[in-house]
Amino acid sequence: MIAEVEESEYVDLVEPSFLRCVFGPDFFISFYFAEKLLDRMRSVLKSYPPSEYPKLYPQPVEYYKMGHIAFKVINRIIFFLGFVFLAAVILVDQGTFADDGFISEAWPATYGMIQLLPLVLLEVLEFGRFKSMREANSASTRKAQLRPRRLFDFVSPTLLSWAILFYLAAIFLDLYGKQFVLRWSSFDSAAVITGSNLFFIALGARHLYGKKQDPHQAPGDRERQIATNLTSYLYVSLAVSIFFMTVAADNIFQLDFLDATLMSLYFQAIVFFSCGHVLRRLKLGEVNFDVYKEEEAVVS
Amino acid sequence: MDIIIDIDAPVPLFTQLMEQIKRAVLEDKISPGDPLPSIRQLANDLEINNKTVAKAYRLLERDSVLQTKGYRGTFVHPNAKVNSTIDLNDWVVAQLSQAIGAFRESGVTDSEIRIAFGNVMNDRGSGGV
Repeated sequence: MIAEVEESEYVDLVEPSFLRCVFGPDFFISFYFAEKLLDRMRSVLKSYPPSEYPKLYPQPVEYYKMGHIAFKVINRIIFFLGFVFLAAVILVDQGTFADDGFISEAWPATYGMIQLLPLVLLEVLEFGRFKSMREANSASTRKAQLRPRRLFDFVSPTLLSWAILFYLAAIFLDLYGKQFVLRWSSFDSAAVITGSNLFFIALGARHLYGKKQDPHQAPGDRERQIATNLTSYLYVSLAVSIFFMTVAADNIFQLDFLDATLMSLYFQAIVFFSCGHVLRRLKLGEVNFDVYKEEEAVVS
Repeated sequence: MDIIIDIDAPVPLFTQLMEQIKRAVLEDKISPGDPLPSIRQLANDLEINNKTVAKAYRLLERDSVLQTKGYRGTFVHPNAKVNSTIDLNDWVVAQLSQAIGAFRESGVTDSEIRIAFGNVMNDRGSGGV
């Protein structure tokens, strides 16, 4: 059995696996990706300053600069925490981190969730910024497009079909791995996959039909944002399904040594396909920032 | 085609919506059979109450400018262009002016007309809406 490896094999398996599961996402999420986000935030502040685009900044500019510093510091701390984990597992006691002879997937899962915290914080602050923008918006006129927004105007039917197919395949493979023994506990993975997809559906519906978060956003920018967000949800849904399919395959073929690596890749895929996709698709140069300028006084 | 409303304008919001949709039909910015946004979408986009948009849509449906096809949504009526030129408010004003003119000619005073009008309008049991 693979679980009954010799000590020497154990060390050989643990180290590359742990290097992948900690250093990979550590560098990608907390360093590379965090830097990309910071560059973008700084670039907006530099290219579209509060003096010319006051509607973009409902709070004083120092607030945003402090936010950038805090985001960088938090990510750097998490980045070094990854190295501390790595040093601990190599130097201190590998057995502490092991589960059935292999690094437990709970470690990269916990670390991955810690890495996502600054992104969640950024999202919460963004909601706060939009709320302040809406409160500060004194314009009495409001504009809307007189045409319906429909799902397939924004996402490809093929991509949606793949997402549905992979969702069903993930549930099927999971139940196949459990030999179709239909107990409540057999549906734990199916419940998580379904819950995740329902969450994406709710978020998608909110983007499609919900209130506009940014009161000044140009209609074209909003449409681009909806398309990008909906597509990213579909990619993440695919990533979730693929992750659960690989976990099911992992259980069927007893590839326990892959657990930690898969969990690590899962977190990287989530960030790559969610925030990463948004960063790649929504180019700053294509955004209409003129809507954030102060209206010129009407001369009568 | 954009809808622009002014929440501070003295004209009611549902009237602003109705006028702009009719204008869009007359200016061929929307054509018969074109779909319109759902009540919820338009209300959310304009940050107004759903009931305001629902009222505008209902009145436009009454005027055969729009038609609702169940769950498929709301569409521009095939005869929308012709029907958009008919203003029921103008017709009501014309009819009332004619009736009031006839009353005055018969010697009925303005206060008597007002009281009678109020009674008729409040007499919901006798066919009022």
